[in-house]
Amino acid sequence: MKRIRLIARLDIKGENLIKGIHLEGLRVIGSPSEYARKYYTQGADELIFMDTVASLYGRNHLSEIIKLVAKYIFIPMTVGGGIRSLENAIDILRLGADKVAINTAAVARPNLISEISNSLGSQAMVLSVEAKKISDNKWEVYTENGRESSGIDVIEWLIEAENLGAGEVLLTSVDFEGTRKGFDLNLIKTATDSISIPIIASGGMGEFQHFHKVVSEANADAVAMADILHYDRMTFKKIREESISHGINVRKYV
Amino acid sequence: MGQIEKKSIKDIYKLSSNIKFCKSCVISNQRPRILFDKDGVCSACRFAEHKRKGIDWNERQNELSLLCDQHRSKDGDYDVIVPGSGGKDSNYVAHFLKEKHNMHPLVVTWAPHIYTEIGKQNLTSFVDSGFDNILITPNGIIHRKLTKAAFIEMGDPFQPFIFGQYSAPFRVAIQYKIPLVFYGEDGEVEYGGAMENADRASLSYEDFISNRFSSVFPSSFEKYGIKKKDLEKYELSSNELSEIKKLKIEQHFFSYYRKWIPQENYYYSVENTGFEANPVRNEGTFSKYASLDDKLDGFHFYLAYIKFGHGRCQSDAAHEIRDGHITREEGVALVKKYDGEFPKKYYQEFLDYCSISEQEFNEIIDSWRGEHIWKYKNSKWILKHPVWLDK
Repeated sequence: MKRIRLIARLDIKGENLIKGIHLEGLRVIGSPSEYARKYYTQGADELIFMDTVASLYGRNHLSEIIKLVAKYIFIPMTVGGGIRSLENAIDILRLGADKVAINTAAVARPNLISEISNSLGSQAMVLSVEAKKISDNKWEVYTENGRESSGIDVIEWLIEAENLGAGEVLLTSVDFEGTRKGFDLNLIKTATDSISIPIIASGGMGEFQHFHKVVSEANADAVAMADILHYDRMTFKKIREESISHGINVRKYV
Repeated sequence: MGQIEKKSIKDIYKLSSNIKFCKSCVISNQRPRILFDKDGVCSACRFAEHKRKGIDWNERQNELSLLCDQHRSKDGDYDVIVPGSGGKDSNYVAHFLKEKHNMHPLVVTWAPHIYTEIGKQNLTSFVDSGFDNILITPNGIIHRKLTKAAFIEMGDPFQPFIFGQYSAPFRVAIQYKIPLVFYGEDGEVEYGGAMENADRASLSYEDFISNRFSSVFPSSFEKYGIKKKDLEKYELSSNELSEIKKLKIEQHFFSYYRKWIPQENYYYSVENTGFEANPVRNEGTFSKYASLDDKLDGFHFYLAYIKFGHGRCQSDAAHEIRDGHITREEGVALVKKYDGEFPKKYYQEFLDYCSISEQEFNEIIDSWRGEHIWKYKNSKWILKHPVWLDK
């Protein structure tokens, strides 16, 4: 059985770690670097930093935060939000990130995926997808932090992105994000059935059972969590213990 | 339709020709009734400061408990009317009164012109979460005529909704003899008005509706061929007004008793009443959680943009700056990006609803264009003083 990665997702706006519901109503949680350090020491496998409003404001504010946390965090870090070019991606990796996550810019110009993948390696090219359900078994790609619809079908987009060289997909359900109601299992399952690159399920984890289901029923390769960690509903330690007792293959962290 | 007469926005709304922006948020002095102090800060920002520092919210909470104690029914009969749409704000007010104060609210909904799917769904979820609701829907033909007339006459097609929103709940209060009516926020202090009103819990009905009706009353629409009898449904009769006095029906603002933070209302109503934000952002702004149940309300905000140069995004950004959710710099960027975006999604439906052509629409829009706000350059209208160019 494949090893499941546990990922802390930190959505950032300006200087603050924030959290919304359906990517809306962005509440300030605290300092991103403090939370990053906390999740690192708790035993996260990876961290994802998303400047959630970078496209909204046409900027990226993550550089300072990444530079700071890269000094003391030694697990893979993915950085997304407002990355528009290969040059932007190179800058982010130079600061200490391991991968870049791209949504809006890739939708606008899909070839950006190939450019980054060819230059930096596919492992560094994470496609971030904000999926909004439009009917049973059909989802649409959204951009700009769940605010703009693109008219693109999620599954078709995933297949295209895989062909263009994306190494991994961060798949966020706008419908379930921040709700604590569980993952959109159908979305994740349909996605993992359609492409072979790893999929990080994101959006909706409220309890361990949700994690269990998205891994065992929808075959997610990794799970991104935010609300459940930020509001101290569960810790990585607890999630690992539960995983092991349910026979899910996770890293044993001591 | 006859000739559309050009309006003088400056005179009608008593606006200064010298456009200034608040130093703290992004609102301009073109918002009717807003005041700027000597430091160039608007009254809504001053009120936000007052909310943070000048009010003892525990004391206000005690006042709310006392008010509820005075009104609470012992046998479970309704004891408070909450005018509500199923939106985040009224859901919060109704739920809080019911669950935290053991009140028995009757929620009265005045229907939107044309329901959006999400708006209808939110009202259903709200009722399903344990509330009694009366939905009042006006006669479709009369409402359309009135909407068209209000669009032409007042430059605001949304006004018929506002008429009903502030009369229907009181009519139900009279019928059921419920002496307490709880509205959400006091717009005249939250969004800009005189600070002398900062600490008022309630208003007499007459004062309450006078600025909400912009001093134009439904009865004045008879000249558009709408029968007097039909217009009476949009405002309270003199008999009803005396009933209000006799039954001692009081209108209160929830924002007086509890610190009003729309974003927290959103969280509260998602957690407790099944509320969902709009799937996409609303046209003309960045937000997804406010004012989303009526297909026509985009035109209400668009007309404000035409008249005063500030649309929906400018007012959303201003609230969020005051509540500390975004910085002024972010607010300015959002206004530049979204403000004044044309509400194209429901444009055709709006034209059909009002039975007007595109040409008539444009004539009406231009008749309401603030003469000191706009200039015509390279065959398009542009703002003379946008906030992002403000020094």
